[in-house]
Amino acid sequence: MKMTGFTKSLGLTMLAAMLVLSACSGGGGNGGNGENAGTGNGSGESDAPAGDTTLSIMWWGTDARHEATQKALEIYTKQNPGVTFKPEFMAWDAFWQKLPTLAASKTITDVLQMDAAYIQEYVARGQLEDLSDIDLSGIVDPSVIENLSIDGKLYGIPLSQNAQGLAFNKVELDQYGIPHPHKDWTYDEFFQWARDARAKLPEGKYPIGDTSTWDGFNYYQTAMGKPPIMSDGGKTFTLDKDLFMKFYQTYEEFRKDQIVPPAEKASAFLENDPQADPMASGVVMTRGATTGSVGALEQLMPGKVGVVNLPTGPAGGGWAQSTIFLSVSANSKNKDEAKKFVKWFIEDKEAGQALGTTRGIPINPEIYAELEPTLEDKDKLGKQIYDLSLDKALPFYSPAAGFSEWVDTYRKEMEAVSFGQQSIEEAFEKIDKMGKELAAKAGG
Amino acid sequence: MTAEKAAGTGPATTPSKPKRASAKGHQLAGYIFISPWLIGFILLTLWPIAQSLYLSFTEYSLLEDPVWTGTSNYAKIFTDDATFTKSLSVTFMFVLFSVPLKLFFSLMVALALNKNLRGMNLYRTAIYFPSLIGGSIAVAALWRNMFGLDGYINQVLAWFGIEGVGWISNPDTSLGTLILLNTWQFGSTMVIFLAGLKQVPQELYESASVDGAGKIRKFISITLPMLSPVMFFNLVLGIIGSFQTFTSAFIITKGGPINSTYMYAMFLYEKAFKHYQMGYASALAWILLSIVALLTLINFAASRYWVFYESDGGKTK
Repeated sequence: MKMTGFTKSLGLTMLAAMLVLSACSGGGGNGGNGENAGTGNGSGESDAPAGDTTLSIMWWGTDARHEATQKALEIYTKQNPGVTFKPEFMAWDAFWQKLPTLAASKTITDVLQMDAAYIQEYVARGQLEDLSDIDLSGIVDPSVIENLSIDGKLYGIPLSQNAQGLAFNKVELDQYGIPHPHKDWTYDEFFQWARDARAKLPEGKYPIGDTSTWDGFNYYQTAMGKPPIMSDGGKTFTLDKDLFMKFYQTYEEFRKDQIVPPAEKASAFLENDPQADPMASGVVMTRGATTGSVGALEQLMPGKVGVVNLPTGPAGGGWAQSTIFLSVSANSKNKDEAKKFVKWFIEDKEAGQALGTTRGIPINPEIYAELEPTLEDKDKLGKQIYDLSLDKALPFYSPAAGFSEWVDTYRKEMEAVSFGQQSIEEAFEKIDKMGKELAAKAGG
Repeated sequence: MTAEKAAGTGPATTPSKPKRASAKGHQLAGYIFISPWLIGFILLTLWPIAQSLYLSFTEYSLLEDPVWTGTSNYAKIFTDDATFTKSLSVTFMFVLFSVPLKLFFSLMVALALNKNLRGMNLYRTAIYFPSLIGGSIAVAALWRNMFGLDGYINQVLAWFGIEGVGWISNPDTSLGTLILLNTWQFGSTMVIFLAGLKQVPQELYESASVDGAGKIRKFISITLPMLSPVMFFNLVLGIIGSFQTFTSAFIITKGGPINSTYMYAMFLYEKAFKHYQMGYASALAWILLSIVALLTLINFAASRYWVFYESDGGKTK
């Protein structure tokens, strides 16, 4: 009351400033502190192998994976007294939100789990250590390593075999007299199957889901023998307009004929949620599933899940390869121990038993052979997707470095098409323009 | 009143009676006493704020060191970023509807709870209770389940034969649902109103009654003017808070469908931590700060025409 209006407004303006900026202060602060932290880099490998070492390690995953991995870490400590771990584990989203802030402060854990969708981004920005000198002969097939190299170097030790397929509700398909999809079906057969199934399904049930993400169309474009949308590290951008129009016009027809659920329903789906999962809720008869994720679906609807590989074209279809890795931070002070550990992780039999199939089908054939007799149905489905996909598989295409925003834009523009807010052609123009700009930036 | 207390914390309240000679010593002691807060403020708030201003003129991917790019972030935001325009307009819509709604609603509740009824404390506690769990993730998740396509709201509507819509999965209704959620979180605003109501001198009502004023007359001529500083405080904080809405959009709708709930704070967050453009995000933060500061200043300027301070001798104009 004694204060003047000006002091009051100044006080509140400051308050506003604090509130607004607190959102960003975490990241900014880290950036400043980190500038000096990383200078000890090259010379930081003086740790004697016998000395006490603490390896920090971070991964994402489910509870089962967390428990299994912690058990494996205990085994390593038992075999190598003097090495202890500082583990951090979380869910997928949290992991990828946390990692950039760690990178900014140059405090990425010594060992970290990596995904094919992100590894290029982190390699391009110099965050990951070159692991090419780790001898993996006899553990990992040389062609797999060849396939995973980025500019001739290996930045992630592959942990498992993974593949993308299509899961279907076999019980309900039988009930309505709809034939199961067959291995190596083509896109034409897939579309026709969906049309035929529509005629036999009751109202409120749909044969297939809608698609709005870039990878859905990228599968189609590459299956038809065209280059992937992003290639050459993001310097080349190819969005084939004819195929784009044909693909999304088909889905437009499907929306009209209720072969795919209406947009409003589609955007409410939440995969692996008991009530909101498109397939477990009984609304859609099929959905995409990977070797690593189909187990979760099977647990939601036990005994009802069948699998088939993704539709194919003249060039093939889908993918079957390793997509989860262990990487070592380029700023780690314990690189030697970290490298020793990541090799051990896929080589050691005891660890293999502890880890089971919590990261998919183990990459090491010997370990898989030991696990095979004890596999449960949910694990077998994953293996089945992999086996079905293998002979027609195309490479796994991930977003190029710097394209994460384009990926979001693609989905939003296509959602706007699904909701009838813009035409397919308008969406194409916007997506194509942004992609070409990013490619030009990556090239220059 | 509450507003002044909140805005003017710190040394202003130290007594300044003693002799001149020891005034300096007292000042020093004052600063020493507030030093834990002051150091924390400078290191953890002021320094990052300054840094974010610097970063807003750089391209900074978080993974690499920042590179100075001058004003190019600002230029791009203002000339070539449709998402900026979209998220800003979404946020303005949100503020425009949710702030008045929340003020109105919490005032009504506060008036209802200001009656002298038996067991009123129980009612107050019961009504304030949801605010204890406040704007948390749990509430957002609850909201998502209530307003989902198969959520409770639609189940209840179905009893009456009404086919519900996908409240949060339909771009036409999603923002409205978030506004509703924000209004429902009225607790703290309501408590401040309630405290303000308690401070209105009873004599005013009594003398008005003697003069034959009715309930509505009393509300318009006594309650509203006496409450105006509190109203003003709630308005300013409400606007600032609404501009920063993040949790509900992030948890319930993920900004969708098709950007219909893509709040500015969420846009900023995704730029920084999803698309690795911390420099750009910092520029966005400073633009938001400018907008909020400007609106707050306008608010203060306008307040002279409607806020009544008893201590100023009742000058409102």
